[in-house]
This record gives sequence, structure tokens and C-alpha cells, in this order.
Amino acid sequence: MKFTIDWLKEHLETKATDTEIINKLTAIGLEVEEVIDAVALYGDFIIGEVVKEEKHPNADKLKICKVNIGNKIVDVVCGAPNVTKGMKAVYAPPGSTIPVNQMKLKVAKIRGVESSGMLCSEYELGISELHEGIIQMPEDSKVGSSYVDQMNLDNIMIEIGITPNRQDCLGVYGIARDLSAAGLGNLKELEVPKIQSKYKNPISTTFEKKADQKSCYAFGSRYIKNVKNCESPQWLKDKLTSIGLKPISALVDVTNYILFDYNRPLHVYDADKINGNIVVRSARKNEAFFGLDDKEYSLEEGMCVISDDKTALGLGGILGGISSSCDLDTKNVLLESALFSPENTANTGRKLFIDSDARYRFERGVDANSLNIGLDKAALLIQEICGGEISDTEICGNIPTETKEIPFDLIKNSSRLGIEIDQSEIEKILNKLGIKNKKNNNILLCTIPSWRHDIHGEADLSEEVIRIKGFDAIPVLPIRTENKINEVILSRTYKNNLRSKRFLAQRGGNELVTWSFSSSKDSKFYSNNQRLKIKNPISEDLDILRPSLIPNLLTAIKKNISRGFDSFSIFEVGSQFTSDTPGDQKNIACGLKSGIKTEKNWNSQKVDFDSYDVQADILALVNHLMAKNKNIEIKTGAPDWYHPGRSASLIINKDTVLGYFGELHPKIIKHHKIKNRVLAFELFIDEVPLSSKKTTNKESYFESDFQTVDRDFAFIVNKDVEAKTMINLPFKADEKLVKNVQIFDVFEGEAIGNDKKSLAIKVTLQASDRTLNETEIQDVSKKIVDLIQQKTAGVVRS
Amino acid sequence: MSKIDSVKKNIEAGKKLVKDIESLEKIRLQFLGKKGQITDLMKGLGELNPEERKSHAEELNNIKNDLNNFISLKSETFDDEELSKQLSSEKLDLTLVSQITEGRIHPITQVIDEVIAIFADLDFCIAEGPEVETDYNNFTALNTSENHPARQMHDTFYVNSKTDEMPNVLRTHTSPVQIRSMLKGKPPFRLIAPGKTFRCDNDQTHTPMFHQVEGLVIDKNSNMGHLKGCLETFLREFFETSSPKMRFRPSHFPFTEPSAEVDIGYKKDGNQIIIGEGDSWLEILGCGMVHPNVLKNVNIDPNEYQGYAFGVGIERLAMLKYGISDLRTFYDNDLRWLKHFGFVPLDIPSISGGLSR
Repeated sequence: MKFTIDWLKEHLETKATDTEIINKLTAIGLEVEEVIDAVALYGDFIIGEVVKEEKHPNADKLKICKVNIGNKIVDVVCGAPNVTKGMKAVYAPPGSTIPVNQMKLKVAKIRGVESSGMLCSEYELGISELHEGIIQMPEDSKVGSSYVDQMNLDNIMIEIGITPNRQDCLGVYGIARDLSAAGLGNLKELEVPKIQSKYKNPISTTFEKKADQKSCYAFGSRYIKNVKNCESPQWLKDKLTSIGLKPISALVDVTNYILFDYNRPLHVYDADKINGNIVVRSARKNEAFFGLDDKEYSLEEGMCVISDDKTALGLGGILGGISSSCDLDTKNVLLESALFSPENTANTGRKLFIDSDARYRFERGVDANSLNIGLDKAALLIQEICGGEISDTEICGNIPTETKEIPFDLIKNSSRLGIEIDQSEIEKILNKLGIKNKKNNNILLCTIPSWRHDIHGEADLSEEVIRIKGFDAIPVLPIRTENKINEVILSRTYKNNLRSKRFLAQRGGNELVTWSFSSSKDSKFYSNNQRLKIKNPISEDLDILRPSLIPNLLTAIKKNISRGFDSFSIFEVGSQFTSDTPGDQKNIACGLKSGIKTEKNWNSQKVDFDSYDVQADILALVNHLMAKNKNIEIKTGAPDWYHPGRSASLIINKDTVLGYFGELHPKIIKHHKIKNRVLAFELFIDEVPLSSKKTTNKESYFESDFQTVDRDFAFIVNKDVEAKTMINLPFKADEKLVKNVQIFDVFEGEAIGNDKKSLAIKVTLQASDRTLNETEIQDVSKKIVDLIQQKTAGVVRS
Repeated sequence: MSKIDSVKKNIEAGKKLVKDIESLEKIRLQFLGKKGQITDLMKGLGELNPEERKSHAEELNNIKNDLNNFISLKSETFDDEELSKQLSSEKLDLTLVSQITEGRIHPITQVIDEVIAIFADLDFCIAEGPEVETDYNNFTALNTSENHPARQMHDTFYVNSKTDEMPNVLRTHTSPVQIRSMLKGKPPFRLIAPGKTFRCDNDQTHTPMFHQVEGLVIDKNSNMGHLKGCLETFLREFFETSSPKMRFRPSHFPFTEPSAEVDIGYKKDGNQIIIGEGDSWLEILGCGMVHPNVLKNVNIDPNEYQGYAFGVGIERLAMLKYGISDLRTFYDNDLRWLKHFGFVPLDIPSISGGLSR
């Protein structure tokens, strides 16, 4: 919402300085977003007349202009196609600053010809996007006068942000009322015009159906005959331009003025273009409508249209139509002042993607009592400027009159705000806001004025009081609790998330945070679930909820390759989705490694990351998250996005998948245009078992102090025998004595046959109650060899 | 010459031949071994008469002690020589540095951890909720009806392919976690909910995904004074400054009443932002007293319970505290940026250890 301080003072009698006004606006919740001081911005610019123009000797499109700026004539090189002799233009002298780009002008040679200053376009002054030609000032503009004086810009424009509840401040009058309540002056009494009309409005209005009154509560109109539409008088044009609006013609400008001054949306129809009478109705299915914004709309049933006997003339509360629009030849007009329902206005506007000043106000709620006052103010102003005779008012429907009363408990108010405010002060604030109140014990019975649609209960009244009084008055109270409220601060899953991040970073991983979205093209390898689609994606690249963290991390690798990186150890801990239902998300720790693990250097050759590096990551991470992890096993094979021969799954408690790891499938890597192999692991953090009872005690402790014995064995087995089998079998041979099994050598080669490999294991034996003797050791060794030979069809390597 | 004297002489001669650890061992065996010359004489003592035995024994012991001393002294010398020979041959150039691998923690994680540390100390627990939310939890339950203009301001992402249902949304704020937490438990509540949030907006100062932390306190008497106390404590701890400058401005959120936005005072010194000084203001969070309708929606009687809520942007906190000037860089995943702005893995924020180094 934009306005100028001069305009504000038409409604507010105040001695406050500009700065006081600006600070107070923000303090009462009308946040000042921008302050434009036109004098500071345009003060240096002068009206000049082009007295001579000739072609630039060295450039086809440039002209050399002699410009009379009052006290002298200067040379200006200008490229505008519209510059002509005799034209009055806006001249920016050397030393001035061009608003749009903050460029400070200097006398400069342009293609060898000296130019002192420039002639400005609207774009350069920051008024509009027009930069095709320079501004043509009216012929009667005074040469040598300042642009600010010529345009009556001598004021300060303020733009404030209005929160959606404060529709009452979408007009200058409402802002003045709020400031006056905040003690910044007196609100001038609103002039309520009286119109003596001599004839009846010849155009009647009806609702097509009773139900149409649900979308348009009331439709008021006056007919004005024999008007002469024209350019608006200077004061009106200045008002509109001062807040960045373009004057169009007096009829239209008046409605815009009342809109911003008094927050009353109006519409003016060329009455001669109306066929018959006005009908307020629901749009027909696929009904065509041509809006004043030069766009054609296809309407839906339920949208409120203002129609004549034939076609839709306007979209109620949103946009007028071309067919009945006013122009300079308009002779008779119908002036509309109506009350549309917020719901219907919002729905229609949203469906058709139309943002208009009228929609903005109606969907937030317009003061019902402004219908007649706004209509009459505008009618009189039109008559004043364009002449004509005003009819009586035709009102169709009912202007809501019920008033809302709220009992305001002052004790509760204090306990809500944390401060006791004098009752007299509360009464004064409410009164100045137009909230009438009557005292009854500790209760103020408040009557909410018609322009406040946002006050429904006591909390809202508390807000009004403290908003005007200021939050600074509230004392700061301590919040430490005497008794603990929460037994648990962090859930154990959440703790696992945090621990995973720190742990993986400590192992060399760099933590990335990527979008929870992904591209369906990159994600097709992981899921084709249609229920991951985003209905209104921000771009094609981010059109689904990610089914996996891998694609975004691959994209990050690709991006960093182009930044010159050749070694990657990255990870992300975040959610991936299985559907678009709340809760269908999983916590994942996902790490990727690729490229160089160790650079070639003085003590080693270059080493690339391989699948064992991500295996180490996931196993170490699991160890970190759960100290006791006896029931974990590695199973060869992982989902399709992994290399079929170089991937595995981590299983816990026989059948719960805890994660996957290995090399990513080469076709996916190729899809991302990455040359190196990429290794990945995914850990499902939610599947990490949490013990049912939390205890700080560790399990009971026992270790044997009797001597341990190591025995080495080597077997030649088929290549498909897994290391896991080799490690598990000795334990099965003797559960009591076998304490540890380690593979210390793997050999493949022609010497033992191409389909074979040799696996060498070291078995550690120990008894809990004695030192083992040689016979016992021999016996266990035999059991181990027999069992391995039997289960793997392997032979002892000699 | 007595036997003893000849052994003495032999010893003196033997000593002269000692030049390394081997020759030293040789004379030890020659005199002190099982069949050594001194050992032999000791064995023969039994055949002597008592007086002779006493004087011989004394003399032999002296000779033996002298020799032992000589041997241990010599062997120490030889060990030293050996070691210095070894040391002079062993040399590493430790100015050659091997590769150090250590990753970095993303600033978002670090700042969330800081926020958690502060609020955990104030007896808040950490609540969680899903990133995909029902329209009801994200808006309606938070007193934002279907046609509320605030819904448009949120630029919501919608999901759900089932056309007959109300579409689900990507939560536009962390506030629906309030609803979930209150439906699950019983007052009093004292919680924060950090997490990802989404809005359909992408330009210099907006990213389609960002992070917020929500705060909620519900009990029988928490009021706006407590809200001020809570936020002042938080900002003081977070920015590690004794006196943060705060400004409460009235604002509007459908789910709080009264509502306010909080600005923090700062000063720019070159590229540095100094919090708590100067007179520039920067909006940092939104807050207010929980709207009675919200309490009703989660079956809490607003006549009995009341409290406050607030929401802070994590990126905004990170930018201010650590001097990160561009929001978009958080999601560029540029490893050079991460090296610069990221945190060392074990810099875990805590109250005892301090939030930052």
C-alpha cells in the first residue's frame, strides 16, 4: 500500500515529523517497506527544450541536441528515436544521479562528441519500464524549472506492507485512523456527502437466483447522465502518479482515487454499452469473458459475474470487462459500489490467476458501510469534473448491519500480555480505533466497527491494545522451569541422525544438504511411483519427491567435477519418500565416494575409491550407532541401482534390511555424465534397532586369561564361495573354543584353476577354564577342516 | 704366583681385548661362565682351611664385582654406540605431509545443533514431523481456513495424485509439528521442532526449500513477558552476545494472537555483521500467543491453558552469525564453499563447551 505524507495529512491533523510518522507506522504493525523522497531522487532534474537537433557525425542512431535549460544552452548526445526540435524533455545535468542504476553523470565524450548530461526516459527515472524514447513533457512546461516542481512531486511516498488481517488500512483514511489511535494526531471527520437526485436510476439490478446473494451481498449503483469524460485535473493526476499509478481518464481516475483514499472498490460502466439491465449471476460453464487487462477468460459455474441481459460485463469484485468500458466519448455512466463475498472473490481470483486491487480488498473483507459513502463520494467527484446529473441509488441485496460484540475480560488480558495496563488507557485506545466499549466489573463490552473484519475474540482485542501501546512496555520474564517438563529431549532416531552426520564427517565425508525434491528423469532408476509427483513443481528438474538421496548427490558430484574436483567423499542425512502421504518418508544416511582416494605421492601410488571403502563406512557407522550388532550379516546383492556383481545388502535380525552398499550401476553413472565409478551406501536409520528399555548398565563382563592359540588354514574352493561362509564355519565346528576367525589371504590364479580361489584363515582358539593341550588343538583343527571341506567342497591347500 | 693372581692378570689382559659386545660376552664367559676361571676358583674354596677360605673368598668376590662392573659399564657404552649408529642411519623428512582426510559439517546442521543445545538447556524437547503434511495440519488446524489470504502468501507445493482427496502439501512451515505434538500429548508443552520447509519460490532471496525451527510453550500461565524472556535468552545465547537488541513489531499470523515479528539490531562493519550494536534492524523471527482456535483444534481448553509460539529461519540465523551473504549458496553444494563455511566434525555445540569455538 503506497501513499504520500501529504495525502495522509488530508485525513490526519498532526504536528508529527515525517520520521515520527514513519517510525510509528512500523511500531503499530503497518511495516514501512520503502520511503521515497522525490526531492532527493529527482531534485537535480530540469525541464529543457530541444532547440536544435542534428545527426551525430560518427553514429547513425545518435543525435546531437542543443538543449535550452533556462540559463544556458547545452549540448547533449541523445539516442532516443522520438527526440525532435521544440520538444520539452527532462534533462539530467552532470553531477546528477540516474535513479534506476545509481549512475552519477559526468561530462563525457560520446563517439568523439562532448555531451553534458542526458535526456531521460521513464525507465531511467524509475517510473516505468518504458525506455524506447525520452519523456515528452507537456508543451506548457516551464523551461529551466525543476522537474519536481513541474510534476508537483514535492512529497514523500511511503510504501507499507499490510498483513492479511488489516484490510482496513488498504486506504489512506484507515491508516490515518490507526495513527491517530497511536497518539500521532487527530483523525479529521469524514465528510459524508449528500446528493439530491432528481431522477430514478434507469438501470435496475436483480439477482438471477437467490443463491447469488451468497457471492454478492449487495450491489449499489447510481446512473450519471450527460457526463463529459476528459483528462483528470492536475491535482487528481498528481495524486495518482505520486503513488505510481497511471492516470487514464477522469471517470476511471475517480474510482481509483476513492479506492486508495477511502478503501472502497468501485467500477464505472459506459451505460450506453449495457444491454438492458444488470443481472448479478453465476457464470455459465465455459462462458467467455474479455477483461480490461486485455485477456480472455473461460469462466466456471459459481464465479460471480455482473452481467447485462446479454453478456458478462465484469467479474464481481475482481475485474471489469472491455465491452462496457469507458472512453473519452462516454456520455452516460453507471457507477457500481458493491459488496462481494471474500470466499467467492478469493476462489475466482485464484482459479483465473487474476490479481487486482479490488480482489485484494474483497477477499480480505470490505467495510459494508463504505458502500453508500464511497458511491456518493465518487458520484459527486465525477459530477464536479465531468458534469452530468446523478440518479438516486439502486441497491439490490442487503448491506449487512449486524454488529459484533465481544466481552473483554481485563484480568485475562493482563495474564495474556504479561502486563497490567490502566483500564482508562485501554478504553482510550479502543475508542480511538473506533471500538466502542462499556464497562461492567472487570469486563469491557466491546462493539466491533464495520471496518474491522479481523477482530473475533478477546485475544484480538489484546492485540489491538498492545499493538498501540507498544511491545516495549511488556516486562521480560524469566522462563527457566523448576520441575523438568520433558523426560526426553531428543528422540533416539533423531540422535542417530545427528550422530551419523558427525561420524561420517569425521571419516572424511563432506555433508551436503540437497533438495527434498528431485527430477523424475534422474529418479526413474529408483522408483516410478506416480504418487511422488509434485502438482506444481518449481521446475522440471524438481518435479517429484525424491525416492532416493542418490540422484541429488550424483548431481552434486557432477557439478563439482566441473569446478575442478576429482575426489569425492560426500554424504547427506535426510528423508526419502515412498509416497505423497504424510509419514511415508524414511530417514537415510547416504554416502557417495568417487575418484581419487589417495593421490600419487612420495609414499604411495594413486589409489581410487572402491566398494570396500563404502563397506567400511557403513559398517563403521552401524558400529557407531549400535555397539552390540551381533545379528548383522552381509548378503550379496542389492537393488537395481547398484552394480549387480559389486553390491551387497546389510541385513539385521535375519530379515530386516538395514542398508545397501557397493558400486552404483554404470548406466546411472552414464546418465549423469560422470566418467568415474561411483560407490555408494544407504543406511536406513529408522531400522537401527533401539533397545526396548533404556539402561545405563552394560552387559556383565567376562574374559578368559588362559592362553590363546592361533592356527592357520588354507583351502582351495570354488570362486563363488563367500568369505562370509569361510568365517562362519569354524565357529560352527566348535562354538566354545573358536574365539575369532580372520581371512588373511585371498589368491586366484591359473595355478589353482580359473574357477577356483584360495582362502586362508587364521583361527584363534581359547578355553575359558584351562590352557589347551596339543591333542585338543589337533581335535578342533580337524573338526574345522572336515566341516569346511564338507560344506564348501573345498580342499586343504598343500 | 697364586692362582688368584694369575686370574687377575688374565682378567687385565682380557679386558684389553674387549672391543665390541661379542668380545665382552667372551670374557664374561671366560671368567664368570659355568666353567669360567673365577667360577672354578670359587668351587675350589671348599677345600681350603677356614682362614684361607675367608680371605680367598673375599678377594674373589672383589675380583668378581670389579669384573661385573666393568662388563655392565662396557655393555652400556656399546649399546649407546649401537643406538647412535642406528639413529644416524634412520631419517625421515617429516616436512613431507601425508594426506589428511576430514570432512565438513554443513552450516545448517551446525546451526540446528546450536539451537537444540540452547533450548535443551531451557527444558525444551525436540519434536519431529513429516515433510509432507495434510492440508489440515499445515493450514486449517492452524486457524488458516481455505480462503484465508495467508494461504496465497505461502506459495504452497501440492502433492497427491488422487483427485478425489484434498491434496497434501509440502509443509510451508514447521508449525504443523505443533498440532501433531499437542494431539499426541497432554499440556504442559515445551518443545522446539527444527526441520525442512517448502515454498514455491525461487529467486535471489528465496529457495524452494529452507529450514525453520518452531517453538511452542503451553501451560497455565505463560504470557507475552515469558515470550520476550524466551526469545531474549535464545538470541543472547545464539549470538553469544551479552545484550542483543530486540524490537517487537506487531504483525499477523493466523495461528497466534497477538502476533509480532522480532527484529534484531545490528551494525555493519565492512563485511562483518555485528549483532547487538548499531541501529539497523533485521527481521529474524515471527511469534505470538497461541491463538485460542488452535488450542481448541487440538482439544485443549483455551480458558485453562495458554502459551506462546515462535518460528525462526535457520538460514537467516546462519547467515547473520557466520557472515554468509547469499542464501542460495546453502544449496549449491559447492565443496569449496563447504570447506570455507562448513564446520569441523567434532565441533559439537554444547552449553558447557560453548556454541562456537
